[in-house]
Formats: sequence, structure tokens, C-alpha cells
Amino acid sequence: MAHAALAQERVFALRETIARLEGRPLPEQAAAEAGLLAEQLAGQLAEQLADLEDGGVAARRRAGEARLATGVEAFDQALDGGLPLDAITEIRSLGFRHAGAASGLALALAALLQATEEKRAREPAPFLWIGDRMGGGEAGLPYAPGLKAFGLDIRRFFQALPQRLEDALWLAEAALQSGLFAATLLEVRGNPPAFGLTESRRLSLRAKAAGRPLLLLRQAGEEEASSAAFRLLAEPAPALARRLPDGSMLGGSIGHPVFRLTLEKSRNPAPLSLFLEWNPHDRRFLALDPARQAQAFEPKAAHSGAALSAPSDRPDPAPALGAVLAFERAFERAS
Amino acid sequence: MRLLALDEMAEAAGLRAGQGLAEARAICPNLIVIEEDAAADRRLLEALADWCDRFTPLVGLDGADGLFLDITGCTHLFGGEAAMLQEILTRLTQMGLAVRGAISSAPGLCRALARFDGNRIVAEGEEEAALAPLPVAALRLDDTLVQALHTLGLRQVGDLVEAPRAPLARRFGTELMLRLDQATGADEEPISPRRPVAHLSAERRLVEPIRAEDDILALAATVAEGLKPGLEARGAGGRVFELVLFRVDGHVFRLSAGASRPLRDPPRIAKLFAERLKGLHDELDAGFGFEILRINVLQHEAFDSAQGDFEGDDRRRLSLSDFIDQVSARLGPEGLQTCQLRESHVPERAVRMRPALEQAPARIPLPEAAPLGVTVSRAERPLRLFARPEPLETFAVEVPDGPPMRFRWRRLTHRVLRAEGPERLSAEWWLDGEEALTRDYFRLESDSGQRFWVYRQGLYDEVAHPRWFMHGIFA
Repeated sequence: MAHAALAQERVFALRETIARLEGRPLPEQAAAEAGLLAEQLAGQLAEQLADLEDGGVAARRRAGEARLATGVEAFDQALDGGLPLDAITEIRSLGFRHAGAASGLALALAALLQATEEKRAREPAPFLWIGDRMGGGEAGLPYAPGLKAFGLDIRRFFQALPQRLEDALWLAEAALQSGLFAATLLEVRGNPPAFGLTESRRLSLRAKAAGRPLLLLRQAGEEEASSAAFRLLAEPAPALARRLPDGSMLGGSIGHPVFRLTLEKSRNPAPLSLFLEWNPHDRRFLALDPARQAQAFEPKAAHSGAALSAPSDRPDPAPALGAVLAFERAFERAS
Repeated sequence: MRLLALDEMAEAAGLRAGQGLAEARAICPNLIVIEEDAAADRRLLEALADWCDRFTPLVGLDGADGLFLDITGCTHLFGGEAAMLQEILTRLTQMGLAVRGAISSAPGLCRALARFDGNRIVAEGEEEAALAPLPVAALRLDDTLVQALHTLGLRQVGDLVEAPRAPLARRFGTELMLRLDQATGADEEPISPRRPVAHLSAERRLVEPIRAEDDILALAATVAEGLKPGLEARGAGGRVFELVLFRVDGHVFRLSAGASRPLRDPPRIAKLFAERLKGLHDELDAGFGFEILRINVLQHEAFDSAQGDFEGDDRRRLSLSDFIDQVSARLGPEGLQTCQLRESHVPERAVRMRPALEQAPARIPLPEAAPLGVTVSRAERPLRLFARPEPLETFAVEVPDGPPMRFRWRRLTHRVLRAEGPERLSAEWWLDGEEALTRDYFRLESDSGQRFWVYRQGLYDEVAHPRWFMHGIFA
């Protein structure tokens, strides 16, 4: 019993800290001041503890955070209920060779957002792509017939290719502020010094105020501290074959696109990796069996020899002291 | 090398234009000679013409060293003809220029008076009297003609005016009579203004120059108020506006901004320039400040004042066009684009990006589930397309119609696991000509799961060694 009380107090303290960090009011304190009965308080706390135990999903749902369920249960659970509609979601690729997968995932999410918005407003929902000129040269420019085939509505598709990053950030901010766009997609190349934590915080606040999502597509970028609610790493994965009407597969064909997705930043401590297939016709994600995918298509090394052993004449670098709070800026780490 | 123009001291020393440089140096050994820079002279004249915009919107150039100002209907703003001439000449003299000017009813006469007489104003009906004492060279005739007239003793314009016209025309051609008529005002001569005349314009002259961006914008909003009655009277709203800023030292800045739908509301008009000014950053050098601020309406269109519905649904659409205006004003019309599908099966021609400003959604109401109006290929199309297809190095290609087994692109070798194709697209002969090569498109998936769109340019019976290109990437 004493153990339970201690745990409860600890949970309470943690909740308080979280609430303070997030700048939310403390419902427990207010309730206590109002003179609520101790049992009620205990009951509430027990409920919240239960919430915390199942990942805080119910608590956040009650708090009214707008989410868009992607339809894949494991993914939605890791995202606390779905794609946030009022925050930044970052999608990262390891290099421009993976630009197709990263753009595909971002555009699939945009298609979901757009479809939801169109169902709500019953008119074509605008969608804005803010590209990077260099990125356009490296990975190509969005191609409208391809976007249409991918499940997007291109009647209100807007594209901007600003010369400078400052203009791109300004445009993203203006687009979020206007609240017009079902989805705003900002493509960034690498980790530019001019787009750091401050700028992403600014965009995140705008997104929160307007209740509109920003999909940040970081091509060939590294992990760094940002204000994005989630960061996903997108990698290409082999597609399944085309399905025939009788349920069998058409051998040798290339079916719907598949992405390998790793959730790098979330409130969920467990790293999540899954294979998602995007069905452009139904605008729906489908989770594939990771074990089968991994077995069937694990990229094989060009040389079958064993990996080189670690050098023995140099000591292992000492681990960083203390808790790692946030990633440093990527360009500082590299230098 | 010859002298082209001289200052007063050089003239006093006995030099004249057209003299050889060596001869001039012999007369005046400490002569300072500057090489002619026709482009710089032209720029100066254009800048002066810009500066003169403050007096009238109709300013034309006259040769390399003159300006025509059409001041019809403008003189009362400056206190009459004499005061206006006085002001123009004084201000230009203060800039360090040697100027002469004349006002009359004909451009030819003005030119003759300004260049061969002095600062004069000639009233209607006194043209011939004013012209009579001037030399014939004042009539814009070429040198041989002037020489020919001189040998006949016709030295002054008065001699020509009194002489019978028929023999003169027979002997010297119609050119002489045309110039004479233009000078006396008997023949109408248009001057060609440098810029199109604005449909409407409003301006404010300031005693104390302003520099700060906020001041400029606040003033622009009040000046735009002046446009409103004019636009209302025409039942129109402006689509393209121009903000003209006259700097104290004579420099003139022109900023134009377009709107995606006709505008009349002064704060909205000012807001267009707010983004434009921000986009300019440091390019707008205020120097010692601006003394005149003018807003021109360069293009206008019928203004349909639509009645809003009860749901306030049209507010959304309006604000989308506001957003387009805001972005296009700051990043330029190309800054925000929409796509327009076209009837073409050649992938790069099937879509064209156009400025969003041109097809503002507010002006073309989209019906429920509007069809795109164009047949879009049902075949697989990539998510991203390269502006220029990139050449590939292919290995082990299935001949004649198969995909490559491996290919090298951007120094990386990709092993093809699966392929779909070919999708054969023949060239559009009506655009590309009969010789254009057929393309065979393939969708390839590499061993790492990347999906590409590549094509072979030309069939094997068209070319001996067809080349391969990467055209796009799939998700």
C-alpha cells in the first residue's frame, strides 16, 4: 500500500513537471484548491495513472488534440492516436537516393490529410509544396499526373520553389498562418544552419495556432533537435506484386509502393520500425508483415566477407557524460 | 579622334565641336578629354526622363540630349505655363545641368526654340512670328539640305515661310515642307511617351521627405484612397498597380505588384506593396528620402461585387486569393505556381506550371468535382520528374524490347530485380518533326527497393545504339 502511494506521488510529480514543460494548467491543483473530496482526487489520479500506463492516449484524446488516424493500428498507437493536425511531422531520408521513398511517404500523408479535409469541406482542398531548387535538380520536381495517380487532388495543387531558405520558411509560415492548406509540405536539403531549433519552434507555434499540419521533408539530413512532434525515417522497400482480382499475385509485376518506416522521435520510448504499403486508389495504408519483408528483401552486401574488426591500437572513445538532452546542430557535429 | 561636346571654358578657348583632338591639344595643351560613353549618356537622359515624370506622365526622348514633355492639362497644377517652365529649368539647373526649354503648341517649334533661341513661351497663333528669325538648321534638316538652302540665300526660317511652297517642294523634296509644317504647328506631330499612360494615378507630394518603410506604406494607403473614386466611377478594380517613389536626388523607383482579382480597397492595395518591399530587402535605397509617392493603376478589370452568402463560405475562397497575392507580391509572380494539364502524351509536355496569379481560383469558380478537362494517362506516372532526363549507362539489355539488367546512374550501379514495360510513346511529329525518336518507358525496381522510370530513346530499327535516360522516380 505504501509502495502504491509512493508510486502515485511520483507519478503526480512527473505529471506536474510535464504539464509545466508543456505550459498546460494543472487540473489536479485547481481541483484540490476547489476543495474536492480526497476520494475523488484519488480516483482521478488512479484514472490518470492508468492513462499514463497505456501511453497517455486517452488523456491526450480528452485534451482535444487533433489527430488523423492513418488506419494502421501499430503506427497510430506509436503516434498517440494518429498524425498530429496542428504540429510539424518530420520525414527524413538518408540521402537523395532515397528521395522517392521520403517524398512518397510525405505525399501519402498529404493525400490522407487532403482527403479528410475534402470530405469535411466538400470542396477541393488546397495543398502546397514548397520545394528546394537544388532538391528539384537532385530528385526531380513534383509531377502533377504522378501526384494524381498517387491519390492527391491536383485541382488545388500549388508549388513554390523559392530561391532562398528564408523565403521558403517565410512561405511555410504564411501558409500555416492562413490556415488554408490541408497540408503544407516543406522540402529541405540536409541540415541548413539557417533552419534550426528556433525556426522550427516558430513554425510549430504557427501550426498549433492555426491547427494546420506541416510536413517537413528533410532530404539527406541528419537527426537534430527540432520542434517536430514526430520524426520518421523513410527508406525504400521492395513492393509486392500486383494483386489480381481473384486474390493471387501477378508474378514479376511491381505493385503499390512500400516504404520502410522508422519512428525516430516520438513520446513512445520503444523504437518502431514497420513496412507500410500505400494504396493510392483507396488512399489507405496497409501494414506488411515485417519479418517476411525483412527476410525476403534484406539488401545483401556486395562482398560476402566478414566485416573488418575494430582497430585494436586505439581506445574506445569515452561515452558522453550525463544525460543527452538534445541533439546538437548537425553541422556542428560534423565539424 | 574628334571633339563631340565642349564646356564653356573650352568654347571660350576657341575650340569647337568636330575639331580633331590633335588640333585642339595644339590650341589648348592642358585640355581634359573624356572618352564618349553613349550608354552612360543614355542612362542619364532616361533618369532625367524618369525624374520629369513628376510633371506629366507623357515624357518622350528627343535624340540623345533632349526631352519632350506633353504638359497638356498639367500646367494649372504648377501655377501656369511660365511658373512651370521656370520650376523645371531651375530644378534641373540646381542638379548641375545646363538646360534650355520652351513651351509651345508644336513639338518641332519647341525643339527649335529651345536649341536656337532661349527659354520662351509661344502662345497659340504666334508660331510663325517666333520661328521666322531662327536659322534653317533649327528645322531638323540634314546637313546637305541646310547647305543647299544656304547657297540659295535662304538662311532664316522666315525666308522659307514667305517663299511659295510648290517650287520649294519640287526642288528640295517633301521632307523640307513636312519639317516646316511640323514647326509651325500646321502638321500634327505625336511624341512617343516612354511608358504607357496609367489608367488612373494618385500621388502625394511631401514637404518633408520620408524614409522608413512603415511611413511609405502608411502613405501608400492614403494615396490609394485617391484611386478609389476613379475605380468606382469606372466600375473597375485594379489588377496591376505600380508604386512610384521619387527620391530627393532625382532617382525614381518603380515597384509593380499584381493582384489575383480586381482590388479597390486601399489597405489591400497597400498590403501588396508591403510584401513587395519586404521582398526587396536592401535593393530599395531610401537615401535622403522620398519626396513624391505615386500609385498608378496599370491594368484594371471589371469589379464584380459579389454578395456574400450566409455561411460565410466565400470568405475562405477570398482569402486563398489573398494568400496568392501576398506570396506573388513578395516572391514575384513565378513564386507560386499551379499546374495546368495539357493534352499530350509526352510526359514533360503533359503538364505546365503557371503562375498562380494568372488562374486565381476566386475568378474561376470550381464546380463540384470539376473534371480536369484533359485526358490523363492511366499508365503509371512517377511522383517526381527530372526537368532534364539524365543519361544512364546500361548493362545487359534485353534486345530488342527489354529492360536493362543493371544500370549505372550517378556513379551508383543498380541491379534491376523487376521491370514493367515497355510503354511505347512515339514523338509528336507535328511538334518534333518526322525524325524524332520513339521512347520506350520502363518502370524498374532495384534490389534496394527504389523504383525508377527510365526510357530508351529510339527503337533498334531507328538507331543502331539507342541511349537510355532516367526520367523520374516513383515512391
